[in-house]
Amino acid sequence: MTAHVDVDRRTLGGARRRIGPFGLWIGFLLLVMAVAFGTWIYQVSNGLGVTNLRNTVMWGQYILFFMFFVGLSAGGLIVASSGRLFGATRFSPIVRLAVVEATVAVMLAAIFLFPDIGRPERLWHIFRYPNLTSPMVWDFTIVAAYFALSAAYVWLYTRADLAAAGSPLALGTADTPESRARDDRWKGILAWIALPAAVLLHSITAWIFGLQISRGFWYTAIMAPMFVASALVSGLALVILLALVVRRFGRLHFDDGLVSYLGALLAVFISVEAFFVLSEALTAAYPGAPFEGDPIARMLTGQFAPLFWFEVIVGLFVPFVLLARRSWRASPRVVAVAAGIAIIGIYVHRLNLVLNGLAISPIGLPPGVSVGTVQDGSSFAMSNWYVPSLVEWIIVAGVLAFGALVFTFAARWLPLQPRQH
Amino acid sequence: MKLSRRRFLKGAAAVGATTAAAAGGTAFVLLGRDHPDVAASAGVDRVVRTTCSPNCTGSCGQLAFVRDEMVVKVQQAADYPDAAYNPRGCMKGISYHTLIHGADRILKPLIRTGERGSGEFREASWDEVLERVAGDMKRIGQRWGYDSIHVFGQVPGSGYIQKGANYRASALLGLTHGTSFDFNGDLPMGMPITFGVQNAEHEAKDWANSRFLLLIGANPVETRIPDVHFLFDALEKGARMVVVDPNFSGTASKADAWLQIRPGTDAALGLAMAREILAADLGDLDFLRTYTDAPLLVRLDTGLRLRERDVVAGGSEERFAFRDERSGEIGWVGTKRLGMPRGSRAALGGTYRVRLADGSRVEVAPGFELVRRELETWTLDRAEQVTGISADRIERLARAYATSKPAAILMGGGSNHWFHGDLTGRAMGLLAAMTGNIGVSGGGFSVYVGQYKVRVNVGPWNNPDGAKAHIVPSIYFVRGRSETMHPDVPYPEHGFHGLVVTFANMFVQAPDVNRLHETLRELDLVVVVDHQMTETVKWADVVLPAATWYEKTDLTATPLHPFLQLQQAAIEPVGESRTELWMWRELVKRIAPDRAAAMEVTEDEAIEMILAAGGDRGGPTEGITLAQLRDGPVRLNVPDPDIPFLAQINDLEPFPPVSLPAPLEATAAFLPTRRIEFYKEEERFRELGETVPTYRDPHDDGVHDPSEWPLTLLTPHSKWRIHSTYGNNPWLAEIHGGRPKVLIHPDDASARGIETDDLIEVYNTRGSITAWAEVSPAAGVGAVTLPEGWWPRDFAAGKGVNELTTSEVNPIHEVHFVANMWSPSTGWKDCRCEVRRVEEAGRA
Amino acid sequence: MPERRSPVDLLSPVSRAYGELEPPSEHPRWGMVVDTERCIGCWSCGVICKSENNVPLGMWWNRILTEGDGLDVPTSEHGHPEMSWTPLACQHCDNAPCTKVCPVQATYIREDGVVMMDNTRCIGCRYCMIACPYGVRTFNWGAPDRPNGLETGMVEARPVGTVEKCTFCVHRLEEGQVPSCVWSCPAGARIFGDLNDPDSRVSRLIRDRSGEMLLEEKGTLPKVRYLPARRRQEL
Repeated sequence: MTAHVDVDRRTLGGARRRIGPFGLWIGFLLLVMAVAFGTWIYQVSNGLGVTNLRNTVMWGQYILFFMFFVGLSAGGLIVASSGRLFGATRFSPIVRLAVVEATVAVMLAAIFLFPDIGRPERLWHIFRYPNLTSPMVWDFTIVAAYFALSAAYVWLYTRADLAAAGSPLALGTADTPESRARDDRWKGILAWIALPAAVLLHSITAWIFGLQISRGFWYTAIMAPMFVASALVSGLALVILLALVVRRFGRLHFDDGLVSYLGALLAVFISVEAFFVLSEALTAAYPGAPFEGDPIARMLTGQFAPLFWFEVIVGLFVPFVLLARRSWRASPRVVAVAAGIAIIGIYVHRLNLVLNGLAISPIGLPPGVSVGTVQDGSSFAMSNWYVPSLVEWIIVAGVLAFGALVFTFAARWLPLQPRQH
Repeated sequence: MKLSRRRFLKGAAAVGATTAAAAGGTAFVLLGRDHPDVAASAGVDRVVRTTCSPNCTGSCGQLAFVRDEMVVKVQQAADYPDAAYNPRGCMKGISYHTLIHGADRILKPLIRTGERGSGEFREASWDEVLERVAGDMKRIGQRWGYDSIHVFGQVPGSGYIQKGANYRASALLGLTHGTSFDFNGDLPMGMPITFGVQNAEHEAKDWANSRFLLLIGANPVETRIPDVHFLFDALEKGARMVVVDPNFSGTASKADAWLQIRPGTDAALGLAMAREILAADLGDLDFLRTYTDAPLLVRLDTGLRLRERDVVAGGSEERFAFRDERSGEIGWVGTKRLGMPRGSRAALGGTYRVRLADGSRVEVAPGFELVRRELETWTLDRAEQVTGISADRIERLARAYATSKPAAILMGGGSNHWFHGDLTGRAMGLLAAMTGNIGVSGGGFSVYVGQYKVRVNVGPWNNPDGAKAHIVPSIYFVRGRSETMHPDVPYPEHGFHGLVVTFANMFVQAPDVNRLHETLRELDLVVVVDHQMTETVKWADVVLPAATWYEKTDLTATPLHPFLQLQQAAIEPVGESRTELWMWRELVKRIAPDRAAAMEVTEDEAIEMILAAGGDRGGPTEGITLAQLRDGPVRLNVPDPDIPFLAQINDLEPFPPVSLPAPLEATAAFLPTRRIEFYKEEERFRELGETVPTYRDPHDDGVHDPSEWPLTLLTPHSKWRIHSTYGNNPWLAEIHGGRPKVLIHPDDASARGIETDDLIEVYNTRGSITAWAEVSPAAGVGAVTLPEGWWPRDFAAGKGVNELTTSEVNPIHEVHFVANMWSPSTGWKDCRCEVRRVEEAGRA
Repeated sequence: MPERRSPVDLLSPVSRAYGELEPPSEHPRWGMVVDTERCIGCWSCGVICKSENNVPLGMWWNRILTEGDGLDVPTSEHGHPEMSWTPLACQHCDNAPCTKVCPVQATYIREDGVVMMDNTRCIGCRYCMIACPYGVRTFNWGAPDRPNGLETGMVEARPVGTVEKCTFCVHRLEEGQVPSCVWSCPAGARIFGDLNDPDSRVSRLIRDRSGEMLLEEKGTLPKVRYLPARRRQEL
């Protein structure tokens, strides 16, 4: 436990006298958040025209990060619940971390909706005038439910330890064998809810896209399974990375064997994802019949080919190879690298999905659709290449900083390490 | 990336399934259906009926919706008593308020502070600019004569009162008024030569009555938008439409057949068709005998017609000989009435010997024999070589045209805007006449480009107390006096030293514009009257801000439809802008106070003057009152449908009918026989070998050797503008992108390494312009196309397309002189050039 | 200040009669027929729409597509140049994908079939733009840009951050007048009327000249139908 104490000295203890690394880290995050908040105010007062979104590509970075974080949150809860449901007890050292990750990620996903919509002050309309046929309403519901679920999960897993430590976060409950037994029962019940909820969360997010007949590239039944698969990849990968980081700061203990085990699991998830990607590309490309401006050609050989092949090679192939060999994945460093690039691969996958789906107006006839703002030359565009504007990057950075802040505090003050009994 | 243009329209079979699916979608909706009432129109202060009048001469009735003294909507009035004309108007007219209240609107009088052309001005008071202009005009008048001040304006038909004020003031001050119909190249010289009239277009509604529409160098789908539906009306009734055009135009896209012709060779097509029609015996020879000079004998020794005076001592100058096939004798026809003597059958061919009064014998031939001799040379194969259209298609076209009755020829600027456009007109006129399509509803030979024909008697307004402005074709302002200029042209003794440009963008839109810019050296005063800050305004010494037609009163009419209409002010003149009538009144007051009283006339009084002048029995404005006009359009006293030559065809009245505002005597001189003339005996026709319809290679081929200048530059009207008007229309720029594009055929492009969007220079010895390439098979091989009217600021370099165009004068056009009727018509499309790539796409 | 009046009330009787709707059935279902043979790609419809509805620069409710290689540029896919135009605005689908996906029912179908936008409710998520296969919806990306600031039109401007689109000029329908694009089409290519009335001009045209649906395979069941071009008689 000495390491613990050292950390305390370096961080909290040191902060009292001078600003140590922890303080710097927190300060940095707060600064990024402040700048981002200001930028968001700027965006709200000037309209979404300050982004590089237009009528041609009307969804971009914010929605992308919404999807991405929905996916990231999956891994956590799936790891936690499948551990419980399928008796995968090897997960137990990282279960708490996983549920914290899930909670923070889904919270960030929800936050990303605010900069995305044109009238954030009207977001409550979704509760006042919900349209039950809208996948977006379903998604709001599931995101809210999922957040509640994962927050409950976090509490259930940490309650006893919090109570033991006398934390007010235990909400006045006590750490007794009976309460622990009750916790255990509830964990079992929640696992049965959480696993389908996680799957549903990703499916519904997928259906936001996959149910749109207007966008041929998205309109495929594989969208939901593929979202679940990519969620598993990115979620598990992030859990691995966070676990290693937290372990480095001494807040969590587990052996490298677990890392290797998680790495193997990640390899399985990656292969499932790869299977779906292959299946989708093959189905779309095989007939050789161009449709909707031929998004498959764009993806395989056209303007989106760099993104697609990056995803396939860097995001799927390389991490799979790194993780497939037992000797390689025995190294946490290798697993960390594989997890890192797998996450990036999934991000690129989402980028490709959103951009390619919107790259060409469904009616591919000139002059295209009206862009929505004044630009040089014609106000119409047939296709659009979208690169997020600085505003979008800053706001994304701010939300990420907020997530990092919440996670840092959680890692710092929540008992992530289960007590040994 | 190549887009797939999969056809996305499919049969509508699934109508039945509609409701079930829709119900499914809404069944879930339980909450939130309390939507606010959004269905109320926002109110306006008033709606004013007026008439749109840029230089398209379309005269479309518009409603101006006014709120807070701003025109917030312009929409077609759609109130023509003849419903076929509703709604009438185009996207340009209905977006005019973006110019009324636009960024380029001139709001105050301006006086130049920098160099001419620099665009540096200071704002000034009306008093100051009027004193300045009046003072300068007086100085110029005293030194060089007032006739050395040239007034150049927009076509009078676009507003008889305000444009008429230019004429009225010019008459009072002795200024020289320029011309527009001829200067714009729109005067179809084939018409006065053949029919003795300025033009003889059918009203647009009559297109719908045609069974066969032959469009030559005409693109109404893009340039006659308010009228184009009449073509579709005809097509819906089963008519066929053939478009002859070097480019695949919008009109070609709607045609049954598109004949891609080599630019400037339309006359050859017409001649070959005429030959084919004769060969197939499809001609209406009786029509030729009755109404034309075809049977009149021509002396082969002098090339002059055989007149009674030649044969009988003391005979008439105005009796012409024909040979009666029945009697073998010579017969005579006069000029008082068309037709041939009863019982005769005039020969149209052969040669004969005739004894003259002096006893000598000369060989004579019917005029048509000479025409036929020329036609004989126009075999289908020769025509194919010249025009690039296959002999086979020419033959089928000729037969289809001759066998469909009625058949209309609609000729446009694409064919007229040539140095030898008159020959094309003569060939087409021949076709129409030899198939009996003259004076027939659904038929005719109509030239639709710059419809200028004055519909009412503007004399009393334009010419105060009979005083007339000197009218000098503006081409002589640009080029100076030509060697062959008609002596009746009142060219000022000391040349030109002042210029007033009103409602015209002359320094961009004149042909051979670099030459025009050279005249600036001689000019002591350049006044520009306009409401938009055009490039021409920048060359002014003094700028007078003008009211648009939504801010003043005027009277308009057009040959395209038979309605007389008012312009009525919807709002007060914006800023300090004023009407032309007001400006001239103030100037005349300052220059010639003794004559100022003649300008003390209100617009309403001027309109009354015009109505009264044409209001006599049978006059065009008989029974029309100002009060009626205030309520909406009023039909002129013209036939329905309004087509030309009815009195000639039905009542055998001699050609030509009157062309307002010229007196009949003036234009009757064009036709000594008072018949449709295919044989022209005037000396210059004989000198130049153009006595009968024939073909000449494009004139610019003689200036720019085709081997060195292999491309023809075509500068058609754009659908997005009326010449340069609307060139700064922000809504339309959103559509077309505001970038001049040069249409070039893939073969011509690849030979020069040019690809779409490359920056290219188009140049010849007269000038150069830099714009962007649009490589498309819509272009003809050997022809590049850049629509005229782009503002100079839209180009990468250059003053506009007219740096390259020609201002040369065809001496045939100077045989007679009646301004805007027989006077030099310009040849914008008669222009050779070369093209080179300046910069690859994406780097500009 | 004089009291403002409805622009329709201020029309002369002749003009007003020109724009009058055919008498509709008891429960009208408004629809439009577009004659692609007559359409000349002049954009009068798009321009009057901008004017009527105060649509800012950069935004168009109503546009004209060229079936060709570019704006007004023909294609030579079949060895000879071909070109035609397809005007496109909201198709007012019976099975409107936009109304299905809108999370707050800000876009909805009126009883008369008009697909409407409620800009006081729209949250600006742009999901409807994703769902619409016709690309006819436009978002207010910022403060509206108008030519020299000129406010035009007969309806209120929409707030920033919300989506807008063609309304079939409902404000005119209320006053018995056809939409402005129908009024202003110089070629007579647009016909408007009641699809529930089998004898209305639109119903008859759809029957007699096989009015087609755009992107019929998307199952959106548009209430705008397109009449195909006539058969050409080559020389």
